[in-house]
Amino acid sequence: MNVDETTAGHIQELRRGTVVLACLVRLRHPDYGYALLESLNGLGILVDANTLYPLLRRLEKQGLLSSEWNTEEARPRKFYRTSPAGDRLAAALMTDWRRIDAALARLDTGEER
Amino acid sequence: MTTSTLTDRYVWAAARSLPEAQRDEFGRELRERIGDVIDAHVERGAAPADAEHSALVELGDPLRLAASYVDRPLQLIGPKYFLTWWRLLKLLVAIVVPLAAAGVLLGQVASGADVGGIIGTTISTALAVFVNLCFWVTLVFAVLERSPGTAVPASTWTPEQLPQPRDDARAGRLGDLIASLVFLGVFAVAIVWQQFGVVWIGGERQPIPVLDPALWSFWIPYFLALIALEAVFAIVIYLRGWNWTMAGLNVLLNAAFTIPAVWLFVSGQLLAPEFVEAIGWPWGEASDVTVAVLLIAVIGVAVWDVVDGFIKAARNRGGSALGGY
Repeated sequence: MNVDETTAGHIQELRRGTVVLACLVRLRHPDYGYALLESLNGLGILVDANTLYPLLRRLEKQGLLSSEWNTEEARPRKFYRTSPAGDRLAAALMTDWRRIDAALARLDTGEER
Repeated sequence: MTTSTLTDRYVWAAARSLPEAQRDEFGRELRERIGDVIDAHVERGAAPADAEHSALVELGDPLRLAASYVDRPLQLIGPKYFLTWWRLLKLLVAIVVPLAAAGVLLGQVASGADVGGIIGTTISTALAVFVNLCFWVTLVFAVLERSPGTAVPASTWTPEQLPQPRDDARAGRLGDLIASLVFLGVFAVAIVWQQFGVVWIGGERQPIPVLDPALWSFWIPYFLALIALEAVFAIVIYLRGWNWTMAGLNVLLNAAFTIPAVWLFVSGQLLAPEFVEAIGWPWGEASDVTVAVLLIAVIGVAVWDVVDGFIKAARNRGGSALGGY
């Protein structure tokens, strides 16, 4: 494994949980898979379609997202929305994310060693 | 080929690998996804037919895609069961294959097959048993891996399975030392004592030696000296532990004992003629089997002792493939 692959692997691991958090926060406003993919990538939260679609399915299965088929347009689309349980999880994840960020910042600036 | 057919075929190919209850919903989701990707390609100026083709290329192998949607493992045995599978397989191979091989060997010898046939049948049976063992054990674990909500504990590991560290190992070797010395002592005494007769006929002890008295000129002292060497060896093992040199010496000691013993036995020089007569040898049909059992027992013990030495040496080096858990 060369250095680039190693780096890519670590970055992927670091991002894995943040995609869940981003979905839960973003889907407080209902949306469908492709639009979610575009908007997350537009915000700089880079996620692959092969990761996102299965993730949506899994989060729905876990009751963190609810879904509804919208058949009003030319093609039917499945709209996902963050459930109350998903909201609670998002709050917990966000708290943890900020705690880790603050701790890393302190480590990085040398305040604590 | 119409535009819809390619997508239909893709959806069908992906959905058929899923449980039937999930197919409809999955198919609709996949159609939505494919449609959105095609739209994106068209927006960027592609022709609809090309757009569909490149959209499907982008999605990749439908089976892989379906597997990622349902978290279906694409490996035969995943991390959850790997260690349990590996430990059980090693244990079973170490026990079952030698037993089966010995059983076949015994049966072949008893039925009077020729040497080539005996070796060939034994090796092919051992291979067949090995392959079957690997296959069926692995199959069971592969099924387990794919069974949802199974009650089987993922790992049966307990702290008792931790190996002995090297420095504390001497206490663990004390048992081995005692067993070795007691065995060697009993053996040496038996060799001397047999001279005064161990055969009782009608409640009377007969003055018949078991071993041919002619062996006292060289071979019996030789074996007694070897027993003394073995005792020294056992004490050194207790003090210093196993290593590759000791395991090698163990091979020499075992060979020095077993090869002459087997040779003397097979060439009829080992047992005293009076003893052979007193026990009514040969025992007709049972003779060959008795000889085979004795030979396999003697050679088997020596081989086991040699292998055991190498396994212990490997363990002491810390983390060899032979060391196991």
